[in-house]
Amino acid sequence: MTGLGRRTLLVVAVLVTMGYQIHAQHGGPSLPSVQLNVDDLGPRSIEDLTSKSVPRDYALAWQTMARALAENRVDLLNGYFTGLAKEKLTQRIEAQRKAGIHVIYTDRGHKLTGLFYSPAGDAMQLRDNAQLEIQTLDGNTLLQKEQVGLQYMVIMTPGADRWLVRDLQTTQKH
Amino acid sequence: MNRILAGGILVATLLLIGLAWLQSGGVERRRMEAAETPDQAVKLMLTDVQAHRWAAAHDRLANSADIDLNAYIHDLGGTNGSLRTYATLEGFEVWGLHTAGDEATMRAKLHYSTAVGPLDDVRDIKVQRTSKAWKVVWPTNSAPKLAPQVIPVNYLRWDIINRGSSDDWGVQNVDAPQVRIISMNAIQRPDRVVVLGEVVNEDTVPAYVNVGAVLLDKNDREIAQEISFDKISHTLLPKQVSPYRIDFPNIKLEQLKSVRMEPKAMLVPASADPVIAVDSQQIETDALGKKVLRGRLINQSGQIVNIPHVLASYYDSNGKVIWVSDGYVDQELLPQIPVSFAVDVPNDVAANIHSYHVVVNYYNNNS
Amino acid sequence: MRHYFPILLCLVACLLPGVAAAADLHPPAQVTAGSDFSIASDANGEGTFYLVGPANVSKRKVMVNGSIAVDGEEIEGAGRYTAILCVSGHCDSAAFFVQPDAPSRLSLLVHPSRVRVNAPNAISAAAFVFDKYRNMILAPQNVQFSATPREGNATTTTRSAENGVAWIRLTSASKEGPAKIGATIGKATEVRVVQQVASEACNLRIKANWISRQLWVETDPIRDCSGNAVPDGTVISFTKLDDSGKTTVDAPVKRGIARVQMPVQGNARISVASGVVTGNEIQMAGER
Repeated sequence: MTGLGRRTLLVVAVLVTMGYQIHAQHGGPSLPSVQLNVDDLGPRSIEDLTSKSVPRDYALAWQTMARALAENRVDLLNGYFTGLAKEKLTQRIEAQRKAGIHVIYTDRGHKLTGLFYSPAGDAMQLRDNAQLEIQTLDGNTLLQKEQVGLQYMVIMTPGADRWLVRDLQTTQKH
Repeated sequence: MNRILAGGILVATLLLIGLAWLQSGGVERRRMEAAETPDQAVKLMLTDVQAHRWAAAHDRLANSADIDLNAYIHDLGGTNGSLRTYATLEGFEVWGLHTAGDEATMRAKLHYSTAVGPLDDVRDIKVQRTSKAWKVVWPTNSAPKLAPQVIPVNYLRWDIINRGSSDDWGVQNVDAPQVRIISMNAIQRPDRVVVLGEVVNEDTVPAYVNVGAVLLDKNDREIAQEISFDKISHTLLPKQVSPYRIDFPNIKLEQLKSVRMEPKAMLVPASADPVIAVDSQQIETDALGKKVLRGRLINQSGQIVNIPHVLASYYDSNGKVIWVSDGYVDQELLPQIPVSFAVDVPNDVAANIHSYHVVVNYYNNNS
Repeated sequence: MRHYFPILLCLVACLLPGVAAAADLHPPAQVTAGSDFSIASDANGEGTFYLVGPANVSKRKVMVNGSIAVDGEEIEGAGRYTAILCVSGHCDSAAFFVQPDAPSRLSLLVHPSRVRVNAPNAISAAAFVFDKYRNMILAPQNVQFSATPREGNATTTTRSAENGVAWIRLTSASKEGPAKIGATIGKATEVRVVQQVASEACNLRIKANWISRQLWVETDPIRDCSGNAVPDGTVISFTKLDDSGKTTVDAPVKRGIARVQMPVQGNARISVASGVVTGNEIQMAGER
């Protein structure tokens, strides 16, 4: 390999690596993949429309949550969160902002399992197995980075035109 | 130079005044000031009415001494917040029915524009030749008045307390009312597809109802969606039935595979009064040769109904709803005083009508 | 190989912050929401301690001396927490789970708010179990449901909550009136009220009377097939056919009956309906 070739390769490698980190830190998160399994969902049978809107809205919720936590913006939670989930995330973002911390989620996808769909159709409980990369930064200093598989217990409730995340709680895998 | 300029300005001003006078129908008015024909007499009076020159219009009546000016204004301009009070006389057509010596009968079709669309009023007007000119003879039968009395009403209404926005999740709210579409029929009209039928409030509380329809093609794709808008009685008391009609202009029935109906109901505060009876219902042919469903509305309660709205559903011999028509009544409903109404029925539909059902919706200024 | 060394060096340098450091923090295996605890650490000296949880994030300077104390207020939300300790520019982290506290709150969803009498399995109640910090409790818990009619004793049923949810279905009573549906866990009780209302009118009948030369048509007291009076305000449609044409009046039930006045010309047929239920038809001659 010539000296020019080596220098070019070096520059490309640096740019690619820096570009990856810059994207991870500042780029808008893309819509994560969400697969919904409703084989054991009950007692109410899921409607065709609901089986499409729940994974779509859950993916949108994660997309907006990732952005809200990365940019410390509470306003982004209004679209897909309500109740406890919104309150807890709002508290967290306000605390993050106060401490000068932000957290970047790189979403590798979710496997949702429907557990309970209330007889009146006004609440759905789901278990989510999520694959995530989480980076915690203090200002621009990376404190910690991890690749994790996390399990969430989720409650979603119908809103005017979409399903909203009402509770989102990480649980220990057994 | 200054004199020429001043003279020019004066000439231009006079020219503009003259043009404005011509524009406002001055020549026509001048020509008709003393009506030489029955037709001119009616047109002259209606021109004054159109411009709200009530006193001038009243002065043109042959029997102005017998007609109270206020009653005349109320007759033509409406009163008590009726639809006529919100209407503007856009134009009119006048033609003769018959003339005999010094008397003639003219028919006037008055075109009003209102917040709910155009409204036509057809009146037969008597005209009389006086020594000077033809003049309109206004009917002296004054509006009926109810004797002062107390009408007892067992006031029944529903009020709602909804859950507060700060209440915890799970704090019970009151459910929306249960409504059900009890019939639906999609029919082809010359320029449109019409989806019509009836909806019932099955609940024990009042409902604000709207019916929507989505037209689906052979691949289950949406072609169009529309709601019943004002072709429905929106507020339905428990077990009350309303017709609905949804129009889809420029669509052919053969384009459709199915129609998805979407009835929506909200819980609303409502009152069980007023009760409006629909009396003397008949399908007739009107003066213009069109089929109409006529009848009288009688407000059986003690409060004034400002803007009544009549909705009628028509059934064939199998009990299937084949048409829904509606019409606003431009007169208010005073307690116990009958008011006539007429709603159009297409001639081809009229031939197949076996029975019909009329409901009365209303809009009150204070509601 | 020597040629690639600078590239590898650069990649390692760029990715270095992402490489997990050896865990110097040792949080306890089991932590309960809202309780104070401490995280053991091998580090010594002054550092910065970060705690990132589901509803709280904190950052503070600490003097590490074998352990770091964490206040219960910092871990009221159940879920996964990440503790990070940075000493002398080197950061170590450890994750741990906070478990919910004891059950103390319920969210009770009861539907519908109105139900017809004698409707099988028409009422549903779902109870979600939470601790005092509103963390959902997923461990199995017994929830006691109760149904109390207006008159009579309460009936109770116990259901085990699975993943924090217990639910039941109930059949409405044959008598109209409010029923209180409750759920209890520990000291927490939630109650909702379901209004049981009369069903469709049954055996709808009208009669006509001349009073002061006016024909009044009225229904018998309107009841459903279980004998419950239909609610006032229910619309009853009267239809009369006579020589003058057709007359219709939609009149609301007041004090159990619906009543209208109808002028009659010649012989008349008068019928009655309520919603989709039709009643009897009577024949009348004109004014006498």
